[in-house]
Amino acid sequence: MGAILELQGVSMSFGGLRAVDSLSFDVNENEIVSIIGPNGSGKTTTFNVISGLYEPDSGDILLNGESVAGLRPDRVHDKGISRTFQSLRLFSSMSVLDNVLVGMHSKGRARLLPSMLRLPSVRREEAVLRARAQEILAMFPGRFSGPRQSQAAGSLSYANRRRLEIARALASEPLLLLLDEPVAGMNPAESHEVMEQIHDLKNAGYTILMIEHDMHVVEGVSDRVIAMDHGVKIAEGSYEQVANDPRVVEAYLGKRSTDAAS
Amino acid sequence: MVAARALNSVRAIFYKVPRSAYVIGTLLIAVAFPMLNAVGVVETAWIRVGVLSLLYAMLALGLNIVMGETGLLNLGYIAFFAFGAYTTALLSSPKFDLHWPFIVLLVLSALIAMAAGFFVGLPTLRLRGDYLAIVTLAFGEIVRLTIINLPSVTNGPNGIPSINAPRPLGMKLTDTLLATNLPESLKNWLVIDKPVEYYYLVLACVAITALLLTNLKNSRIGRAWNALREDELAAVSAGITASRAKLLSVVLSAGIAGFAGCLFAYYSNVISPESFVFMQSVIVVCMVVLGGMGSIPGVILGAIVLQALPQIIRESAGAARSEFEVYRMLIFGIIVVVMVIFRPEGLLPDKEWRREAHEADPREIESTRQSLFTLEEGEKDLEV
Repeated sequence: MGAILELQGVSMSFGGLRAVDSLSFDVNENEIVSIIGPNGSGKTTTFNVISGLYEPDSGDILLNGESVAGLRPDRVHDKGISRTFQSLRLFSSMSVLDNVLVGMHSKGRARLLPSMLRLPSVRREEAVLRARAQEILAMFPGRFSGPRQSQAAGSLSYANRRRLEIARALASEPLLLLLDEPVAGMNPAESHEVMEQIHDLKNAGYTILMIEHDMHVVEGVSDRVIAMDHGVKIAEGSYEQVANDPRVVEAYLGKRSTDAAS
Repeated sequence: MVAARALNSVRAIFYKVPRSAYVIGTLLIAVAFPMLNAVGVVETAWIRVGVLSLLYAMLALGLNIVMGETGLLNLGYIAFFAFGAYTTALLSSPKFDLHWPFIVLLVLSALIAMAAGFFVGLPTLRLRGDYLAIVTLAFGEIVRLTIINLPSVTNGPNGIPSINAPRPLGMKLTDTLLATNLPESLKNWLVIDKPVEYYYLVLACVAITALLLTNLKNSRIGRAWNALREDELAAVSAGITASRAKLLSVVLSAGIAGFAGCLFAYYSNVISPESFVFMQSVIVVCMVVLGGMGSIPGVILGAIVLQALPQIIRESAGAARSEFEVYRMLIFGIIVVVMVIFRPEGLLPDKEWRREAHEADPREIESTRQSLFTLEEGEKDLEV
């Protein structure tokens, strides 16, 4: 099992603020890695740098040994990294099925003229894509069945919108899936279900890098946990190791007053 | 309450009729319309209104690609129409004594407009929203002013007169066929020079364009455009190359305008810069907004309404005719404002834009209701 993703000393500043400071870590094949850390510790910025929305100031990002740092987001996606967003970014007036089909954009080849003429090759491709999109939606049993698929994504419940975002990211069968707070705003039962689904994805062979605040979920699914604070990696290891690391406790809760006194 | 329910059940009937029935019905009416002229019910002037409505429908279809599908505002769209019209006028009139064949010019006009779209789109598409609107507005004016100030080529404000009548089969073949003893009724169609003949030519072009664009709308490319319109950041993160997809939509819409421009030049016989003023761009935008952004039947209806309405008012105004001309744009403005307030999704809205305005599509609600009904009925069967 080799490293799928390698971050080598990645830094990203906004004006005088170092949002990510020479960050290095690996994600191995078929591994689930969680990034935790207080608000403003640079987790989402890290995601944005990996997915190409920002170009890192320095350092390199390797996907299967090939640099993807500074590529446009659509190129990064083509290389095999797809993501979800912390603040839902669905195409809300498009149908559920269309949202997944957009996620499969890079799988399709249909060009302008054949699409306008709806040539048999285009029809075949469309049928294949639709069937595949339905398979992906079926990974969320009972959530996107039948008439729901033609409903507007914006009319879904909050939890279903989060699920649909994951479905859209899965549509391109990525080498690496970036999940930005997949259970944010869900009730315990719903987040438990998402947890099961993340397990299923791992069993299906996916590699996942995840940002999450819900420690039950982090504990439940992570093979490895990375803790960040002020753009720096402060701890890395198993959930127990990281959760009991004094620097992590300090980052979340501040220094003990006894420590301050001594 | 009761009235609302009654209204809903009446509407449900309309939603149960398949879409194809509406399309075929509309086509039949459109084909039958000039026959009313032949039997003397409708004056020829109305056929002319029909031709212009269809030409504008073509423009609205083109503008809808950028406005409705990709979500980019273009306020200089008429410039592409001008490119098409002038290409045809210059290459098929006594001006340079060139008389290129109709089919060649139809394609060439579209290609030249597409090239113009490419060169305008390339640097400007990184702009968004209002900025893009202003740049395209400026482009429209630049094109118009260039036409006025280039008299050696375009005759300046005087325009180009005596554009040939189109011969769909080409010069030579048409002449040979005209010399034969074909029936007169068939010979008429070899040279398109009467309003009715133009009507059918443009109708065929609009129908074909609408069909091709409907296919495109439901394809991978159409979805990419919609995704960019909805959320560009999410779209690029899903692997869509924003610059390429946007450029494609601008170039294609320019091509359709060029195509329409070619037909317009042939039809009007004389073209001058007056036909390509900023107000014309605005009118096309109004047609798209009125009919329903993103909706192919909608924008065609919008074009017909806004072209036919002034004519109807003019006819019924009688003595107050000249007064109406003064108020024409004012009335357009009021119509658009009222639409945006009370029915922002347009007359015949697109599914996605309707969702934007009202959350749910009635046709969708109807089908969900039906499937739930079947589902529940099915359950009952199981219980028995």
